Amino acid sequence: MSNVSQELIEIDIRGQICPSCLLTTLREVNQRQAELKAGEVSLRVKTDNRDATSTIPAAVGNMGYPVTVEKKQGYYLILIDGRPRE
Amino acid sequence: MFDHPYVLIVLASFLLGSAAGFVMHRSDFCIAGMFRDLFLFRDRFMLRMLVLAVVASMILFEAARLMGLLSPYPFPLLGPPSLANLVGGLLFGMGMVLAGGCVVGTIYKMGSGSLLGALAFAGLIAGSTVYAEIYPGWSVLVAATTVFPGKVTIPEIVGVTPALLVTPVAVGASLLLLRWYRQDRWQRRSAAEGYLQPWKAALALALIGTLSYVLIGMPLGITTSYAKIGAYIESAVAPEHVGDLAYFQAEPLMYRPPLGDLTVRGGAGPVLDGIAAIQFPLILGIVLGAACSAVMLREFRIYWRVPVRQCLSAVIGGVIMGTAARMAPACNVWHLLGGIPILAAQSILFVVGMVPGAWLGSRLLTRLVLRA
Repeated sequence: MSNVSQELIEIDIRGQICPSCLLTTLREVNQRQAELKAGEVSLRVKTDNRDATSTIPAAVGNMGYPVTVEKKQGYYLILIDGRPRE
Repeated sequence: MFDHPYVLIVLASFLLGSAAGFVMHRSDFCIAGMFRDLFLFRDRFMLRMLVLAVVASMILFEAARLMGLLSPYPFPLLGPPSLANLVGGLLFGMGMVLAGGCVVGTIYKMGSGSLLGALAFAGLIAGSTVYAEIYPGWSVLVAATTVFPGKVTIPEIVGVTPALLVTPVAVGASLLLLRWYRQDRWQRRSAAEGYLQPWKAALALALIGTLSYVLIGMPLGITTSYAKIGAYIESAVAPEHVGDLAYFQAEPLMYRPPLGDLTVRGGAGPVLDGIAAIQFPLILGIVLGAACSAVMLREFRIYWRVPVRQCLSAVIGGVIMGTAARMAPACNVWHLLGGIPILAAQSILFVVGMVPGAWLGSRLLTRLVLRA
């Protein structure tokens, strides 16, 4: 399970209008579907929107990707792992 | 100082506002977002929680009325229905989605450090102030399209006691809520620290609204104050013009609140009157309550690097919503958590207009503001 070759894509949506967070994330996930499924990329979404910590994991989780949320200094980091659950 | 009749009103408003701001921030109870997400993502979770807040308010208000705790009934500033409610609601719905939050949502977000919230707040003040210019013409339209003059609620129009209509509506809606509860649709997972499940926020807001009605004589409402703040600013620049505007001379509020033995009067003019005593502490409370919640969670941060397009959307949405809130009159929180629970005809028309307005706002937001 080495992630060394995986490309990390960072999306910073802190301070932005709702629902930019969910829309931008879904757009990125859809555009990079092939790479995500192949495990070539994973996404790091930075958000200060509390609502997004429920909506993004729910929406992206439904698409089959493992999602984790970590609280950082004043914001939340949502990690979308580029390897769909079997 | 404590024998001044307004002191109790100011204190009660501030405390209720603080509680509302804190609760809304914890659960991110964004009413604009609830309608927007229905149209953009087919996400109905938060709307279900709004239904809970409306129905809980309906039951609490009616219980309080039956106990003789609601005076005056219906509450002040509500009038007979007219086309203005529908048109105002439509523009309001569009504006709130573009602004990224409604009149109340904007200030709880501003309190937690949102730059866009502050921009929308400025837009709201500008829009509310501009309304004073169109007030004479708009009043003509309101008068020409008013139906059932002198009647405010559906029970008044039909000529029955409120309980006769409120009870079946509340029972029907409660059955729906019970069904959602059994389907486990009242809860959702959130990774946000200190998250308050929205069903708890919905019940808390219904209780806060009821306390406001019982103590102050009105549910939560803040929009006239935006015009008042604008009138203060404008009178510093053009005092004569403000003096000439009929809207700033009018005093639509005149009633005897349960707290304090006095008659309260007020309007949008630049004076410290009843509107200022009730609404300014409420606004300050919501901002500080949300700020307090954010600081406690170490989440109070201001991010300045926001796309210009979004800043413009917040200001323009705020202006549209501010003007619409005066045209309607009043905002979604006032109508959804105040008027609908007593079946006010104005509020029903406002919501009927607001829903397609929010749909339109969602289309504009994704086409013009958040396009890839």
